[in-house]
Amino acid sequence: MPEWWSKLRRTLSGRRGLAADLNAEIESHLAFEIQENLARGMSPDDARSAARRHVGNLTRIEERAREAWSFPRIETFIQDLRYGLRGIRRSPGFSLVVIVTLALGIGANTAIFSVVNSVLLRPLPYPAAERLVWLGESDPKAEGISVTWVNYQHWRKENHSFEEMAGFHTAHLTLTGRGEPLFTRAGVVTSGFFRLVGAKPLLGRLFNTSEDRPGGIPTVVLSHRFWVDKLGADPRVQGAPLVLDGKPYEVAGVLPPGLRFFSPPVDFYLPLAQFDGETFDRGRHGSMRLVGRLKPRVTLAAALADLDLIMQRLAEADPGPESRHRAYGIFLAESDTGEIRPTLLILLGAVGLVLFIACANVAGLALARSTARAREMAIRTAVGAGRVRLVRQLLTENLLLAALGGLTGLLLAEWCLRALIGMGPRDIPRLAETTFDWQVGIFVGVITLLTGLFTGFAPIWTAGKSDLVGALKDGGRSATGGKSGHAVRGALVVAEIAITLALTFAAGLLVRSLIAAETANPGFAPEHVLALELVLPSASYSSPPAVEAFYDRLHRDLRDLPGVTAVGAVNCPPSAGDCGDWFYSILDGPAPQPGEVPIALFNTADRDYFSALRIPLREGRGFSDTVQRGAPSVPRVAIVNETFARKWWPKASAVGHRIKSGGPYRDGPIYEIVGVAGDVSQMGLDTEPLPEIYLPFSQSPSGAMVVMLRVNGDPQSLEPAVRRRVAEIDRNLPVESLRPFERSLAATLARRRFSTLLLALFAGLAMALAGVGVYGLLNYWVRVREEEIAIRLALGAPRPAILRWAGRQVLQLAAAGAALGMLAGWMASRWLESLVFGVSARSGATMAAAAAAVIGMAVIAAAIPVWRATQVDALDQLRHL
Amino acid sequence: MSTVDDPLERLEFLQGTLEVLILRSLQLGPNHAYGVTQFLERQSESEFVVDNGSLYPALQRLMQRGWITAQWKTSPNGRRAKYYRLTPAGRKQLVAATSKWRRFVEAMGRILAPEA
Repeated sequence: MPEWWSKLRRTLSGRRGLAADLNAEIESHLAFEIQENLARGMSPDDARSAARRHVGNLTRIEERAREAWSFPRIETFIQDLRYGLRGIRRSPGFSLVVIVTLALGIGANTAIFSVVNSVLLRPLPYPAAERLVWLGESDPKAEGISVTWVNYQHWRKENHSFEEMAGFHTAHLTLTGRGEPLFTRAGVVTSGFFRLVGAKPLLGRLFNTSEDRPGGIPTVVLSHRFWVDKLGADPRVQGAPLVLDGKPYEVAGVLPPGLRFFSPPVDFYLPLAQFDGETFDRGRHGSMRLVGRLKPRVTLAAALADLDLIMQRLAEADPGPESRHRAYGIFLAESDTGEIRPTLLILLGAVGLVLFIACANVAGLALARSTARAREMAIRTAVGAGRVRLVRQLLTENLLLAALGGLTGLLLAEWCLRALIGMGPRDIPRLAETTFDWQVGIFVGVITLLTGLFTGFAPIWTAGKSDLVGALKDGGRSATGGKSGHAVRGALVVAEIAITLALTFAAGLLVRSLIAAETANPGFAPEHVLALELVLPSASYSSPPAVEAFYDRLHRDLRDLPGVTAVGAVNCPPSAGDCGDWFYSILDGPAPQPGEVPIALFNTADRDYFSALRIPLREGRGFSDTVQRGAPSVPRVAIVNETFARKWWPKASAVGHRIKSGGPYRDGPIYEIVGVAGDVSQMGLDTEPLPEIYLPFSQSPSGAMVVMLRVNGDPQSLEPAVRRRVAEIDRNLPVESLRPFERSLAATLARRRFSTLLLALFAGLAMALAGVGVYGLLNYWVRVREEEIAIRLALGAPRPAILRWAGRQVLQLAAAGAALGMLAGWMASRWLESLVFGVSARSGATMAAAAAAVIGMAVIAAAIPVWRATQVDALDQLRHL
Repeated sequence: MSTVDDPLERLEFLQGTLEVLILRSLQLGPNHAYGVTQFLERQSESEFVVDNGSLYPALQRLMQRGWITAQWKTSPNGRRAKYYRLTPAGRKQLVAATSKWRRFVEAMGRILAPEA
């Protein structure tokens, strides 16, 4: 402790006095020696020089003594820092290039990492969120299907793996009696849900168990946003009535802001058991999924095995179509980021490679500079700088540059992040909440440090190898001195070219996929179509005839609008995704095994849907008005899509065959196929079509329909008129959405556009950086060879030979880089398979184009140095030799 | 060839030995740095050569630990020099270090002694 204290005091209290003291002491030491030597009979000059020799290197003694009474590390560090800053100021061009290059790399990485951190890494805002599991059922054909009420009850009571379990689903309800009718979204949850997500009421209370049962008092818990936006944050809202789908609910409480379990967010919460009613049919699937919290130290696999055991017992007691159902579960943190996860990880990898290229460039630059600094280093060594000291100083210099680059990068990242959030698709969870937090801070610190170390290794490596005498003698003029350095730079540039090629290949694949998706034939004509989405509240439209009457009248009224040429309605429009799939079987085909029952998308369309969207009929006929209202005498009919028809009757006609809904092991109606419609991109423009069955609206009316209006001219101009017509029929009916259909269609490609744009941006950045790398290397190569070129020219070499010589350097680099890059791209292509559409992930044409682009880049980047090589003025050079 | 020491090669100090030897040299009375080197070379019959690059840092370390103090004085022949002096703590440290070194040397000797 006192030792430490005296050191600190002396470090702080200046060293001048102590240094003077030490000097005086060594002076006196010398005087004693001289005196002794004189006494031995030496001449005064000899006595002095002998004493000097005997005492040793004064500077070194002083330095080491000083180290003993100070913190040498801190002092040297401060000194190194000062030297470093001086070095940065002395070569502003070099420093600027380094800082900008690193700032680009670090900035892009920081921005992408903060998105990954927020979307994938940051824990969900629930208590013990790492143990929360999303649960569904699975059968041999599908995973994550809904959990039946009976199964939920058994799981909840009989499992040994979960602390708690709750059921949830969403529902759409119409709010009336408070101004304009409002289309609202409810989270329908069991009473345990709020405990699982750790929600406490801001006002009032949450559901109690007496409400979460059939026949309880209808109550509703409001989300904070709904309470503020729609109810004016009324503090006396508790106990107030809310009319939903014509039924009065009592407001029990209000939640605090921030609960984002459902996406898109819900307006309020309703008790599930009361809302759905209880059923005792084990096969009765609704849309309920579960969320459960695992007990500590229970694995997900063990928990699922536990639930499967319950399922087996239930199957033995009550065999049936549900017998092969098992429990399915994934961690909640993965369930909502599952699709975006590979995309983000690929982007993070790509941007990491960009940083590597930036580092390689800086390392190459520093290496070239260190060859030029060989003389400086040699002088430093000659005046007594130790190897370790030199290395430390170079390292400090590099770390300082990296730190400046990192700071600039952080500013850049802040800006990039705002751009990312601005242009990012809305459906990426938590993207908008991305901020810089301490994890991002650590990330920036670590990559900055690594960058500094990586870019510093090359000069340090050569500093250790410097040939003292040679460097001092020829003053760093010889080109041979940097031979090993040049090999390292060459290898770095080859790596840069290879990485750029791989990135360009990946970006090329994505760009081609995007083009393929955008130009893919959607199977219908989306232009000049206005889509009107309506959901009829079941309270006021409780019977099929009421629903039908409404849509009949709407159809007629809209058809009469000037400019409207066709009106057709569908339950699930193209690119809306999966609105409901179900089992089926072909009646005249072999019966499938219980686990092999096929699944198809079920959709509902009216008579004019196909003609309004111009979906071609490939076979048979469309729906007609003559099949009315499912009268027992009239057979139920269906139209299937082409994929469905090809799957079962590749060579023959599908018309006339019969389908049984539910498959052979479940109850369900039988439909006769009357027509085959062309495929439409039901799941999105960048997906392959799935088998789909359309039922006629007249036989299976649905309250939720999207009415498509084909119009002359701009569909948007008709919007007010359409709204008026809807209100004329039912002024309590909210319009869920009304917009040109092309726009909803384009929105489905938002994610693809986002990731493609980013990857293309990174490939472009890599291309630019690699170009700078090639230019720097060749430029240096030519500069150190100017004399050699002059001699060659003087000895009679023609200028084209010089061109060939320099050109060979470039082509060798480019060829080596391209070969490596193609290999890397080929191997990486399987990571891209999930993102690629309409083009093979191993597309040779894309690879060839990427290789050509990268080699072209290398040739262009090298053009100026190579041209300069051929322009060397032999006479001028030789005169200066 | 057996490995026999070259008698012309001077011995190097083992880690930490120099500090004990400095303490020992100051046991006789205050001395300056040059005097310490002279004392050590004379007492070791020139087996040890004291490197000033090690001596001065060692002196600094001993001062920091409070085992010696220093003062500028005039030497008997009229030169000004910095004289180092043992403190009571330094005396205690010397006793402890001496007995430790004895044990160390004896142990080394027992191990390195040729088989009887």
